[in-house]
Amino acid sequence: MSRSSRKWLPAIVVPALVVGGIALVPLSAGASVDLPDKTADEVLQLIASSTEDSFSGTVEKNADLGLPTLPEGMPGAGETIGSAFEMLSGSHEARVFVNGSENVRVQITDQLAERNAILNATDAWLYDSETNVATHVAIPADARDAMRDKVTDAAGAVTPAELAERFLNELGPSTSFSVGTDATVAGRTVYELVLTPKASDTLAESVSIAVDSETGLPLQVSVHADGQEDAAFSVGFTSIDLAEPSADLFTFAPGDGVTVEEKPFPSAPSDTDYSDKRSEDVDPGEKPRVIGTGWDAIVEVSMRTAGGDAEADPLLDQLTTKVDGGRVFSTTLVTVLLTDDGRVLAGSVPLERLQAAAAEG
Amino acid sequence: MSSADPKVKHGAGLSLLASELRILFGRRRTWAMLAAVALIPILLAVALRLTSAGVEPGQGPPFLDRVTQNGLFVSFTAMVVAIPLFLPLTVGVVAGDTLAGEASHGTLRYLLVAPAGRLRLLIVKFAGAIAFCIAATLTLVVAGTIIGALLFPVGPVTLLSGDVISVPESAVRALLVAAYVSLSLLGLSAIGLFISSLTSVPVGAMAATVVVSVVSQILGALPQLEWLHPWLFTDTWLGFSGLLSQPMDGTAFGANAVLQGGYAAVFFALAYSRFTTKDILS
Repeated sequence: MSRSSRKWLPAIVVPALVVGGIALVPLSAGASVDLPDKTADEVLQLIASSTEDSFSGTVEKNADLGLPTLPEGMPGAGETIGSAFEMLSGSHEARVFVNGSENVRVQITDQLAERNAILNATDAWLYDSETNVATHVAIPADARDAMRDKVTDAAGAVTPAELAERFLNELGPSTSFSVGTDATVAGRTVYELVLTPKASDTLAESVSIAVDSETGLPLQVSVHADGQEDAAFSVGFTSIDLAEPSADLFTFAPGDGVTVEEKPFPSAPSDTDYSDKRSEDVDPGEKPRVIGTGWDAIVEVSMRTAGGDAEADPLLDQLTTKVDGGRVFSTTLVTVLLTDDGRVLAGSVPLERLQAAAAEG
Repeated sequence: MSSADPKVKHGAGLSLLASELRILFGRRRTWAMLAAVALIPILLAVALRLTSAGVEPGQGPPFLDRVTQNGLFVSFTAMVVAIPLFLPLTVGVVAGDTLAGEASHGTLRYLLVAPAGRLRLLIVKFAGAIAFCIAATLTLVVAGTIIGALLFPVGPVTLLSGDVISVPESAVRALLVAAYVSLSLLGLSAIGLFISSLTSVPVGAMAATVVVSVVSQILGALPQLEWLHPWLFTDTWLGFSGLLSQPMDGTAFGANAVLQGGYAAVFFALAYSRFTTKDILS
């Protein structure tokens, strides 16, 4: 090799090494894992017996529901629709800190901005760095005690095995459970619990839950849609640290210049009538109606309950397509039919099922 | 390169670096650029001080609304303002000038007559460009802090997470951000060094380097090219919010280091191959 061509070697070798290094790193992370076999029932017990309640980590959410991407700051996009869309499309990252059952902090990071939600025994805070506004809700002591009692009741009343069995019995008729391939999530080995619907008529193919093999902590949940290779929706840790996060993360004192808004604690719902509470301001006749059970159930509500004059929203007009009997909004997991006579039908089923249900009702 | 005595080699490299830094920071042009960099926070702070109308949160560049309450935010705002164009512009001038400038002055061949070797000259030139990146970001932080402290009240700083940190702690964060931004410019410096080895027209190399940074940022703004974004050296430029979070999140710093290190390795290797095979005629 001539002297000068040897001097061109670095120009070829270094880029090749850099690219190769980048290509190899994800490969080694996906190395196969082999854990002692467990049945679905045992994995459920593992989740139920988990005592890990202090950790911190990064959670990533990915949604690929086949929704159109909205241009940022699109005029006419209502605030609620816009933020609902934000959570339903694309990927987002948040840092999560949990210490015991009462101290939680979630940080959603954007470019040079952050939204924080801090919850401790006495206070709930929301802080948005972009608007520099902190919203404070004081949690009254009696509400806290009631909540604490309920939590301990629920936890103390059943053993992990009973809880797992109850869960299996509840979902058993509609769902088959299996254990998938062992893998790693956030650097930890996991069992994959796969829930497959028994109904054939649903858009959902399966739900898989990655369960930490040591602590029983669910580390990732992903929902797969029929005929889609990647998960339609997944939420999971990309990194997790089981050390107890520092206590001062869960207290919040707004700095100078921060606008503090006080909000009252929402009146505590009484023990039994959750459903009445929700539909308090709606006529009794307009309660959501559920047709069928299990995975292919359809929910029907009237348009007024669902959020007023939806017809007028130009965004809605863009998102939906006209079909027989109304307009349809479809994603890979959920189909929503807005009928011409003012009803909304939604379910994880193909459009034809919704149309049939609309015609019957 | 085949010198037998490593001590002599070492000494020659250091003295070459010292003379390079002396020349770089002895130039009026360098000081003019640093002065212009310092003007960014100064203009920003003075303009805010003179206007009586307050800034609404979310208006203008990030942190702008905080400045009137706390002068320490001047340097953060100035940093965000300077990153997209102004810092790459000055770095482009310095990095683009490294080899092409010597070539156009006809001094390159004298540098190579000394037993320094082309690799060592290349390393020294690269180190000089990096030194300028650090000087430029430090100038931003120091000028911003001084003018902010002069014109506005100074107090504990509210981080992006809403937590409040003391003034000394905020100085540490500001220096970390400066380190992050300096690191961000590493890839661009290497690209400038490579472009500079291609030509003996310094202005061309400077302009080309700046254009590369602008093009990369435009590509980074197109949502259709999302698959490409993680590969752009400008992708992490504004990603330092983790350093202003509580608890501090250093993962972005690491990712930035990997990205810039990759660019630096590739373009330094390209510059090396080009420079060592080049016929030096001037």
